[in-house]
Amino acid sequence: MTTDDFKGIKARLGDISRRDFMRYCSIMAGALGLSTGLAPRIAQAIADPKRRPPVIWLHGQECTGCTETLLRPSHPSLDSLILDIISLDYHETLCAGAGQQAEASLAQSMRENAGKYVLIIEGAIPVKDNGIYCKIGGKTFLSLVEEVAAQAGAIIAIGSCAAWGGIPSAHPNPTGATSAPEVLKGKTVVTLPGCPPNPYNLLSTVVHVLSFGKLPKLDSLGRPTFAYGRLIHENCERRPHFDAGRFAEKFGDEGHRLGYCLYKLGCKGPVTHANCPEIQFNDLGGGTWPVGTGHPCFGCAEKGVGFTIPMFTQVEVLSPTPFARQAPIIPERPVPVSPITAALAGGALGLAIGASAVALRKLKDSPDDPDHPVKED
Amino acid sequence: MAKRITIDPITRIEGHLRIDCEIEGGKVTNAWSSGQMWRGIELILQGRDPREAWIFAQRICGV
Repeated sequence: MTTDDFKGIKARLGDISRRDFMRYCSIMAGALGLSTGLAPRIAQAIADPKRRPPVIWLHGQECTGCTETLLRPSHPSLDSLILDIISLDYHETLCAGAGQQAEASLAQSMRENAGKYVLIIEGAIPVKDNGIYCKIGGKTFLSLVEEVAAQAGAIIAIGSCAAWGGIPSAHPNPTGATSAPEVLKGKTVVTLPGCPPNPYNLLSTVVHVLSFGKLPKLDSLGRPTFAYGRLIHENCERRPHFDAGRFAEKFGDEGHRLGYCLYKLGCKGPVTHANCPEIQFNDLGGGTWPVGTGHPCFGCAEKGVGFTIPMFTQVEVLSPTPFARQAPIIPERPVPVSPITAALAGGALGLAIGASAVALRKLKDSPDDPDHPVKED
Repeated sequence: MAKRITIDPITRIEGHLRIDCEIEGGKVTNAWSSGQMWRGIELILQGRDPREAWIFAQRICGV
Protein backbone atom coordinates (compact mmCIF):
# COMPACT_ATOMS: atom_id res chain seq x y z
CA MET A 1 0.00 0.00 0.00
CA THR A 2 1.40 3.39 -0.97
CA THR A 3 1.71 6.31 1.40
CA ASP A 4 -0.97 8.16 -0.61
CA ASP A 5 -3.41 5.28 -0.10
CA PHE A 6 -2.71 5.42 3.59
CA LYS A 7 -3.39 9.17 3.73
CA GLY A 8 -6.96 8.39 2.72
CA ILE A 9 -7.24 5.78 5.50
CA LYS A 10 -5.86 8.19 8.06
CA ALA A 11 -8.31 10.90 7.04
CA ARG A 12 -11.18 8.45 7.52
CA LEU A 13 -10.08 6.55 10.60
CA GLY A 14 -8.40 9.34 12.55
CA ASP A 15 -5.26 8.91 14.58
CA ILE A 16 -3.80 5.60 13.41
CA SER A 17 -0.23 4.97 12.29
CA ARG A 18 0.52 3.15 9.03
CA ARG A 19 2.37 0.51 11.02
CA ASP A 20 -0.65 -0.06 13.30
CA PHE A 21 -2.97 -0.24 10.32
CA MET A 22 -0.82 -2.83 8.53
CA ARG A 23 -0.48 -4.81 11.73
CA TYR A 24 -4.25 -4.71 12.06
CA CYS A 25 -4.64 -6.07 8.52
CA SER A 26 -2.19 -8.88 9.32
CA ILE A 27 -4.19 -9.80 12.43
CA MET A 28 -7.30 -9.76 10.27
CA ALA A 29 -5.69 -12.16 7.80
CA GLY A 30 -4.73 -14.42 10.70
CA ALA A 31 -8.26 -14.26 12.13
CA LEU A 32 -9.60 -15.36 8.76
CA GLY A 33 -7.24 -18.31 8.76
CA LEU A 34 -5.28 -16.85 5.84
CA SER A 35 -1.61 -16.19 5.30
CA THR A 36 -0.47 -12.87 6.70
CA GLY A 37 1.07 -12.37 3.26
CA LEU A 38 -2.46 -11.44 2.15
CA ALA A 39 -2.51 -8.45 4.53
CA PRO A 40 -1.56 -5.93 1.78
CA ARG A 41 -4.52 -7.10 -0.30
CA ILE A 42 -6.83 -6.63 2.67
CA ALA A 43 -5.33 -3.19 3.34
CA GLN A 44 -5.91 -2.25 -0.30
CA ALA A 45 -9.55 -3.33 -0.14
CA ILE A 46 -10.18 -1.34 3.03
CA ALA A 47 -8.37 1.69 1.59
CA ASP A 48 -10.52 1.82 -1.53
CA PRO A 49 -13.64 3.87 -0.73
CA LYS A 50 -15.23 2.91 -4.06
CA ARG A 51 -15.70 -0.64 -2.83
CA ARG A 52 -17.94 0.29 0.10
CA PRO A 53 -20.93 -2.05 -0.15
CA PRO A 54 -24.34 -0.61 0.73
CA VAL A 55 -25.73 -2.33 3.82
CA ILE A 56 -29.34 -2.58 4.95
CA TRP A 57 -29.61 -3.67 8.57
CA LEU A 58 -33.01 -4.95 9.71
CA HIS A 59 -34.11 -5.46 13.30
CA GLY A 60 -36.63 -8.14 14.23
CA GLN A 61 -37.16 -9.88 17.55
CA GLU A 62 -33.93 -8.72 19.12
CA CYS A 63 -32.54 -6.76 22.04
CA THR A 64 -30.08 -4.62 19.98
CA GLY A 65 -27.25 -6.40 21.81
CA CYS A 66 -25.70 -7.36 18.46
CA THR A 67 -25.61 -3.70 17.41
CA GLU A 68 -24.23 -2.75 20.81
CA THR A 69 -21.43 -5.28 20.62
CA LEU A 70 -20.45 -3.72 17.32
CA LEU A 71 -20.45 -0.15 18.65
CA ARG A 72 -19.02 -0.70 22.12
CA PRO A 73 -15.56 -2.15 21.63
CA SER A 74 -12.89 -0.02 23.22
CA HIS A 75 -10.56 -0.63 20.29
CA PRO A 76 -10.34 2.82 18.73
CA SER A 77 -10.86 1.77 15.17
CA LEU A 78 -13.12 -1.27 15.13
CA ASP A 79 -16.50 0.47 15.00
CA SER A 80 -15.13 3.22 12.75
CA LEU A 81 -13.53 0.58 10.54
CA ILE A 82 -16.78 -1.33 10.17
CA LEU A 83 -18.82 1.81 9.61
CA ASP A 84 -16.15 3.07 7.23
CA ILE A 85 -15.81 0.04 4.97
CA ILE A 86 -19.56 -0.24 4.51
CA SER A 87 -22.20 2.29 3.60
CA LEU A 88 -24.86 1.78 6.24
CA ASP A 89 -27.99 2.97 4.46
CA TYR A 90 -30.62 1.77 6.91
CA HIS A 91 -30.29 0.85 10.57
CA GLU A 92 -33.14 1.67 12.96
CA THR A 93 -30.91 2.31 15.96
CA LEU A 94 -28.57 4.60 14.03
CA CYS A 95 -30.89 6.31 11.50
CA ALA A 96 -30.99 10.09 11.79
CA GLY A 97 -34.56 10.20 10.46
CA ALA A 98 -37.58 8.39 11.87
CA GLY A 99 -40.91 7.15 10.58
CA GLN A 100 -41.49 7.86 6.89
CA GLN A 101 -38.02 9.41 6.44
CA ALA A 102 -36.35 6.20 7.62
CA GLU A 103 -38.59 4.05 5.45
CA ALA A 104 -37.82 6.30 2.47
CA SER A 105 -34.05 5.76 2.88
CA LEU A 106 -34.66 2.00 2.96
CA ALA A 107 -36.72 2.13 -0.24
CA GLN A 108 -34.14 4.37 -1.93
CA SER A 109 -31.20 2.09 -1.09
CA MET A 110 -33.12 -0.97 -2.30
CA ARG A 111 -33.98 0.78 -5.58
CA GLU A 112 -30.51 2.17 -6.27
CA ASN A 113 -28.52 -0.89 -5.18
CA ALA A 114 -30.78 -3.73 -6.27
CA GLY A 115 -28.82 -6.97 -6.42
CA LYS A 116 -25.73 -5.40 -4.79
CA TYR A 117 -26.60 -4.50 -1.22
CA VAL A 118 -25.75 -6.60 1.79
CA LEU A 119 -28.71 -7.44 4.02
CA ILE A 120 -27.82 -7.91 7.69
CA ILE A 121 -30.60 -9.38 9.82
CA GLU A 122 -30.53 -8.96 13.59
CA GLY A 123 -33.25 -10.78 15.51
CA ALA A 124 -35.59 -13.69 14.93
CA ILE A 125 -38.58 -13.60 12.61
CA PRO A 126 -41.95 -14.39 14.23
CA VAL A 127 -44.13 -16.36 11.81
CA LYS A 128 -47.05 -17.34 14.05
CA ASP A 129 -50.39 -15.60 13.33
CA ASN A 130 -49.05 -14.25 10.01
CA GLY A 131 -46.11 -12.51 11.69
CA ILE A 132 -48.05 -9.94 13.73
CA TYR A 133 -45.63 -10.12 16.68
CA CYS A 134 -43.14 -7.77 15.04
CA LYS A 135 -44.15 -4.87 12.81
CA ILE A 136 -42.17 -1.99 11.36
CA GLY A 137 -43.87 0.90 9.62
CA GLY A 138 -47.09 -1.13 9.51
CA LYS A 139 -45.46 -4.12 7.74
CA THR A 140 -44.76 -7.44 9.41
CA PHE A 141 -41.08 -8.19 9.85
CA LEU A 142 -41.67 -11.45 7.98
CA SER A 143 -42.85 -9.63 4.85
CA LEU A 144 -40.07 -7.03 5.19
CA VAL A 145 -37.34 -9.70 5.35
CA GLU A 146 -38.75 -11.51 2.31
CA GLU A 147 -39.02 -8.25 0.37
CA VAL A 148 -35.51 -6.94 1.18
CA ALA A 149 -33.86 -10.38 0.79
CA ALA A 150 -35.29 -10.80 -2.71
CA GLN A 151 -32.94 -8.12 -4.13
CA ALA A 152 -29.96 -8.63 -1.77
CA GLY A 153 -26.48 -9.46 -3.06
CA ALA A 154 -25.53 -11.18 0.19
CA ILE A 155 -27.39 -11.98 3.40
CA ILE A 156 -25.85 -12.13 6.87
CA ALA A 157 -27.81 -13.29 9.93
CA ILE A 158 -26.02 -11.75 12.92
CA GLY A 159 -26.53 -13.13 16.41
CA SER A 160 -28.19 -16.32 17.62
CA CYS A 161 -31.77 -15.01 17.16
CA ALA A 162 -31.31 -14.45 13.42
CA ALA A 163 -28.94 -17.42 12.97
CA TRP A 164 -31.02 -20.14 14.62
CA GLY A 165 -33.87 -18.54 16.60
CA GLY A 166 -32.11 -17.69 19.87
CA ILE A 167 -34.07 -16.59 22.95
CA PRO A 168 -37.42 -15.83 21.28
CA SER A 169 -37.49 -19.40 19.91
CA ALA A 170 -36.88 -20.94 23.36
CA HIS A 171 -39.62 -23.23 24.65
CA PRO A 172 -42.57 -22.70 24.27
CA ASN A 173 -41.68 -20.26 21.44
CA PRO A 174 -44.83 -18.15 21.94
CA THR A 175 -44.50 -16.20 18.68
CA GLY A 176 -43.21 -18.86 16.29
CA ALA A 177 -39.78 -17.17 16.26
CA THR A 178 -37.83 -18.51 13.27
CA SER A 179 -34.28 -18.05 11.99
CA ALA A 180 -33.37 -16.18 8.82
CA PRO A 181 -32.05 -19.32 7.02
CA GLU A 182 -35.37 -21.10 7.67
CA VAL A 183 -37.47 -18.18 6.42
CA LEU A 184 -35.20 -17.63 3.41
CA LYS A 185 -34.91 -21.28 2.35
CA GLY A 186 -32.93 -21.73 -0.84
CA LYS A 187 -30.82 -18.58 -0.31
CA THR A 188 -27.27 -18.51 1.03
CA VAL A 189 -27.39 -16.94 4.48
CA VAL A 190 -24.13 -16.38 6.37
CA THR A 191 -24.85 -17.01 10.04
CA LEU A 192 -22.82 -15.44 12.83
CA PRO A 193 -24.42 -16.90 15.97
CA GLY A 194 -23.57 -15.78 19.50
CA CYS A 195 -25.41 -13.84 22.14
CA PRO A 196 -23.85 -11.43 21.56
CA PRO A 197 -21.82 -12.44 18.50
CA ASN A 198 -18.25 -11.28 18.32
CA PRO A 199 -18.02 -8.10 16.23
CA TYR A 200 -14.66 -9.23 14.78
CA ASN A 201 -16.43 -12.12 13.07
CA LEU A 202 -18.70 -9.67 11.23
CA LEU A 203 -15.76 -7.42 10.39
CA SER A 204 -13.69 -10.37 9.16
CA THR A 205 -16.56 -11.65 7.00
CA VAL A 206 -17.10 -8.22 5.41
CA VAL A 207 -13.37 -7.72 4.87
CA HIS A 208 -13.12 -11.16 3.26
CA VAL A 209 -15.86 -10.23 0.78
CA LEU A 210 -14.19 -6.89 0.02
CA SER A 211 -10.72 -8.38 -0.38
CA PHE A 212 -11.49 -11.53 -2.34
CA GLY A 213 -14.89 -10.83 -3.88
CA LYS A 214 -16.52 -13.90 -2.33
CA LEU A 215 -17.89 -15.17 0.95
CA PRO A 216 -15.55 -17.00 3.32
CA LYS A 217 -15.87 -20.79 3.52
CA LEU A 218 -19.09 -21.74 5.31
CA ASP A 219 -20.19 -24.90 7.10
CA SER A 220 -23.56 -26.60 6.54
CA LEU A 221 -25.25 -24.14 8.92
CA GLY A 222 -23.85 -21.10 7.09
CA ARG A 223 -21.23 -20.36 9.75
CA PRO A 224 -17.82 -19.16 8.54
CA THR A 225 -15.36 -21.94 9.36
CA PHE A 226 -12.61 -19.46 10.31
CA ALA A 227 -14.73 -18.51 13.34
CA TYR A 228 -16.94 -21.54 14.04
CA GLY A 229 -14.80 -24.43 12.85
CA ARG A 230 -13.72 -25.48 16.33
CA LEU A 231 -15.40 -26.22 19.63
CA ILE A 232 -14.80 -23.80 22.49
CA HIS A 233 -13.48 -26.80 24.45
CA GLU A 234 -10.70 -27.28 21.89
CA ASN A 235 -9.14 -23.87 22.45
CA CYS A 236 -10.19 -23.20 26.01
CA GLU A 237 -7.49 -21.74 28.27
CA ARG A 238 -8.74 -24.10 31.03
CA ARG A 239 -8.46 -27.23 28.87
CA PRO A 240 -5.28 -28.43 30.63
CA HIS A 241 -7.28 -28.58 33.88
CA PHE A 242 -9.94 -30.70 32.15
CA ASP A 243 -7.29 -33.05 30.80
CA ALA A 244 -5.67 -33.31 34.22
CA GLY A 245 -8.98 -33.93 35.97
CA ARG A 246 -8.96 -30.69 37.96
CA PHE A 247 -12.50 -29.35 38.25
CA ALA A 248 -14.40 -26.67 40.11
CA GLU A 249 -17.12 -28.68 41.86
CA LYS A 250 -19.22 -25.71 42.95
CA PHE A 251 -19.09 -21.93 42.69
CA GLY A 252 -16.64 -20.42 45.17
CA ASP A 253 -14.85 -23.67 46.12
CA GLU A 254 -11.08 -23.94 46.06
CA GLY A 255 -10.99 -25.35 42.53
CA HIS A 256 -13.17 -22.49 41.29
CA ARG A 257 -10.91 -19.93 42.93
CA LEU A 258 -7.85 -21.61 41.45
CA GLY A 259 -9.29 -21.33 37.95
CA TYR A 260 -9.95 -25.03 37.36
CA CYS A 261 -12.13 -26.42 34.55
CA LEU A 262 -15.83 -25.49 34.81
CA TYR A 263 -17.16 -28.62 33.06
CA LYS A 264 -18.82 -30.02 36.19
CA LEU A 265 -20.65 -26.71 36.70
CA GLY A 266 -22.39 -27.29 33.37
CA CYS A 267 -19.95 -25.69 30.91
CA LYS A 268 -21.21 -26.12 27.32
CA GLY A 269 -17.78 -25.50 25.78
CA PRO A 270 -17.52 -29.18 24.75
CA VAL A 271 -20.55 -28.88 22.43
CA THR A 272 -20.40 -25.25 21.28
CA HIS A 273 -18.65 -24.09 18.12
CA ALA A 274 -17.21 -20.57 18.43
CA ASN A 275 -13.91 -18.72 18.62
CA CYS A 276 -14.60 -16.97 21.96
CA PRO A 277 -11.44 -18.31 23.69
CA GLU A 278 -9.21 -17.08 20.87
CA ILE A 279 -10.51 -13.59 20.20
CA GLN A 280 -12.41 -12.89 23.44
CA PHE A 281 -14.44 -9.74 23.97
CA ASN A 282 -14.16 -5.98 24.40
CA ASP A 283 -10.43 -5.69 23.64
CA LEU A 284 -9.65 -5.80 27.34
CA GLY A 285 -6.93 -8.42 27.19
CA GLY A 286 -6.74 -11.94 28.57
CA GLY A 287 -9.70 -13.47 30.34
CA THR A 288 -12.53 -11.29 29.04
CA TRP A 289 -14.91 -14.02 28.01
CA PRO A 290 -17.33 -16.07 30.11
CA VAL A 291 -15.01 -18.95 31.08
CA GLY A 292 -12.18 -16.47 31.69
CA THR A 293 -14.34 -14.71 34.29
CA GLY A 294 -15.12 -17.98 36.06
CA HIS A 295 -18.55 -18.72 34.60
CA PRO A 296 -19.30 -21.82 32.54
CA CYS A 297 -20.09 -21.30 28.87
CA PHE A 298 -23.83 -21.75 28.39
CA GLY A 299 -23.62 -22.42 24.68
CA CYS A 300 -25.29 -19.22 23.44
CA ALA A 301 -23.96 -19.72 19.90
CA GLU A 302 -25.11 -23.31 19.37
CA LYS A 303 -28.59 -24.33 18.31
CA GLY A 304 -30.06 -26.92 20.66
CA VAL A 305 -27.66 -25.92 23.45
CA GLY A 306 -28.01 -22.23 24.38
CA PHE A 307 -31.34 -21.35 26.03
CA THR A 308 -32.25 -25.05 25.59
CA ILE A 309 -30.09 -27.32 27.78
CA PRO A 310 -30.34 -26.05 31.39
CA MET A 311 -27.27 -24.13 32.49
CA PHE A 312 -26.15 -26.55 35.22
CA THR A 313 -26.68 -29.73 33.22
CA GLN A 314 -23.47 -31.51 32.20
CA VAL A 315 -23.07 -32.33 28.53
CA GLU A 316 -21.40 -35.21 26.73
CA VAL A 317 -17.88 -34.35 25.61
CA LEU A 318 -17.64 -34.40 21.81
CA SER A 319 -13.85 -34.23 21.61
CA PRO A 320 -12.28 -36.46 24.27
CA THR A 321 -8.60 -36.03 24.96
CA PRO A 322 -6.57 -38.54 22.96
CA PHE A 323 -3.62 -38.34 25.35
CA ALA A 324 -5.62 -40.05 28.05
CA ARG A 325 -5.55 -43.24 25.95
CA GLN A 326 -2.02 -42.88 24.67
CA ALA A 327 -0.05 -41.92 27.73
CA PRO A 328 -0.41 -42.78 31.40
CA ILE A 329 -1.75 -39.80 33.29
CA ILE A 330 -1.59 -39.25 37.01
CA PRO A 331 -4.39 -36.85 37.78
CA GLU A 332 -3.22 -34.16 40.13
CA ARG A 333 -6.07 -33.20 42.36
CA PRO A 334 -6.07 -30.86 45.35
CA VAL A 335 -5.74 -32.81 48.59
CA PRO A 336 -9.11 -32.60 50.32
CA VAL A 337 -8.89 -30.69 53.59
CA SER A 338 -10.69 -32.52 56.40
CA PRO A 339 -11.53 -30.80 59.72
CA ILE A 340 -8.83 -32.89 61.44
CA THR A 341 -6.04 -31.88 59.02
CA ALA A 342 -7.24 -28.26 59.23
CA ALA A 343 -6.99 -28.40 63.03
CA LEU A 344 -3.52 -29.97 62.83
CA ALA A 345 -2.40 -27.30 60.36
CA GLY A 346 -3.79 -24.63 62.70
CA GLY A 347 -1.91 -26.16 65.60
CA ALA A 348 1.31 -26.25 63.58
CA LEU A 349 0.82 -22.60 62.67
CA GLY A 350 0.32 -21.77 66.36
CA LEU A 351 3.57 -23.58 67.21
CA ALA A 352 5.42 -21.70 64.50
CA ILE A 353 4.19 -18.34 65.76
CA GLY A 354 5.21 -19.28 69.29
CA ALA A 355 8.66 -20.35 68.12
CA SER A 356 9.29 -17.11 66.26
CA ALA A 357 8.21 -15.09 69.28
CA VAL A 358 10.78 -16.94 71.35
CA ALA A 359 13.44 -16.32 68.70
CA LEU A 360 12.68 -12.60 68.73
CA ARG A 361 13.02 -12.48 72.48
CA LYS A 362 16.33 -14.27 72.26
CA LEU A 363 17.52 -11.73 69.71
CA LYS A 364 16.60 -8.94 72.05
CA ASP A 365 18.41 -10.67 74.93
CA SER A 366 21.59 -11.16 72.90
CA PRO A 367 24.59 -8.89 73.61
CA ASP A 368 24.48 -5.56 71.82
CA ASP A 369 26.32 -5.34 68.55
CA PRO A 370 29.27 -3.03 69.21
CA ASP A 371 29.03 -1.61 65.67
CA HIS A 372 25.31 -0.79 66.07
CA PRO A 373 24.77 0.21 69.66
CA VAL A 374 21.13 0.45 70.68
CA LYS A 375 20.37 4.00 71.75
CA GLU A 376 18.58 4.41 75.04
CA ASP A 377 15.75 6.96 75.06
CA MET B 1 -61.26 17.88 12.67
CA ALA B 2 -58.21 16.46 14.37
CA LYS B 3 -55.20 15.55 12.26
CA ARG B 4 -53.46 12.28 13.01
CA ILE B 5 -49.72 11.77 12.69
CA THR B 6 -48.07 8.35 12.94
CA ILE B 7 -44.31 7.95 13.43
CA ASP B 8 -43.28 4.33 12.90
CA PRO B 9 -40.54 3.26 13.40
CA ILE B 10 -39.16 5.52 16.12
CA THR B 11 -35.42 5.29 15.48
CA ARG B 12 -32.35 5.60 17.73
CA ILE B 13 -33.93 3.45 20.43
CA GLU B 14 -33.80 -0.23 21.27
CA GLY B 15 -36.95 -2.05 20.20
CA HIS B 16 -39.83 -1.26 17.89
CA LEU B 17 -41.86 1.76 18.93
CA ARG B 18 -44.72 3.51 17.21
CA ILE B 19 -46.17 6.90 18.21
CA ASP B 20 -49.58 8.12 17.11
CA CYS B 21 -50.56 11.74 17.77
CA GLU B 22 -53.81 13.58 17.35
CA ILE B 23 -53.31 17.26 16.58
CA GLU B 24 -55.95 19.98 16.76
CA GLY B 25 -55.30 23.70 16.31
CA GLY B 26 -51.52 23.14 16.26
CA LYS B 27 -51.54 21.31 19.60
CA VAL B 28 -51.23 17.66 20.45
CA THR B 29 -54.54 16.70 22.00
CA ASN B 30 -54.03 12.98 22.33
CA ALA B 31 -51.14 10.54 21.85
CA TRP B 32 -50.52 6.81 21.98
CA SER B 33 -47.27 4.87 22.13
CA SER B 34 -47.18 1.20 21.28
CA GLY B 35 -44.51 -1.48 21.33
CA GLN B 36 -44.58 -3.22 17.96
CA MET B 37 -42.66 -6.34 18.94
CA TRP B 38 -43.37 -9.10 21.46
CA ARG B 39 -41.28 -12.16 22.26
CA GLY B 40 -43.22 -13.54 25.25
CA ILE B 41 -40.20 -13.79 27.57
CA GLU B 42 -42.67 -13.98 30.50
CA LEU B 43 -43.98 -17.25 29.05
CA ILE B 44 -40.51 -18.52 28.11
CA LEU B 45 -39.34 -18.09 31.74
CA GLN B 46 -42.15 -20.16 33.24
CA GLY B 47 -41.09 -23.52 34.63
CA ARG B 48 -37.33 -22.92 34.29
CA ASP B 49 -34.62 -23.33 36.92
CA PRO B 50 -34.63 -19.94 38.74
CA ARG B 51 -30.82 -19.97 38.74
CA GLU B 52 -30.81 -19.45 34.99
CA ALA B 53 -33.61 -16.87 34.81
CA TRP B 54 -31.03 -14.11 34.40
CA ILE B 55 -29.84 -15.56 31.09
CA PHE B 56 -33.24 -14.76 29.63
CA ALA B 57 -34.28 -11.68 31.62
CA GLN B 58 -30.94 -9.97 31.00
CA ARG B 59 -31.58 -10.18 27.28
CA ILE B 60 -34.89 -8.31 27.31
CA CYS B 61 -32.79 -5.30 26.32
CA GLY B 62 -29.15 -5.42 25.19
CA VAL B 63 -28.48 -1.69 25.32
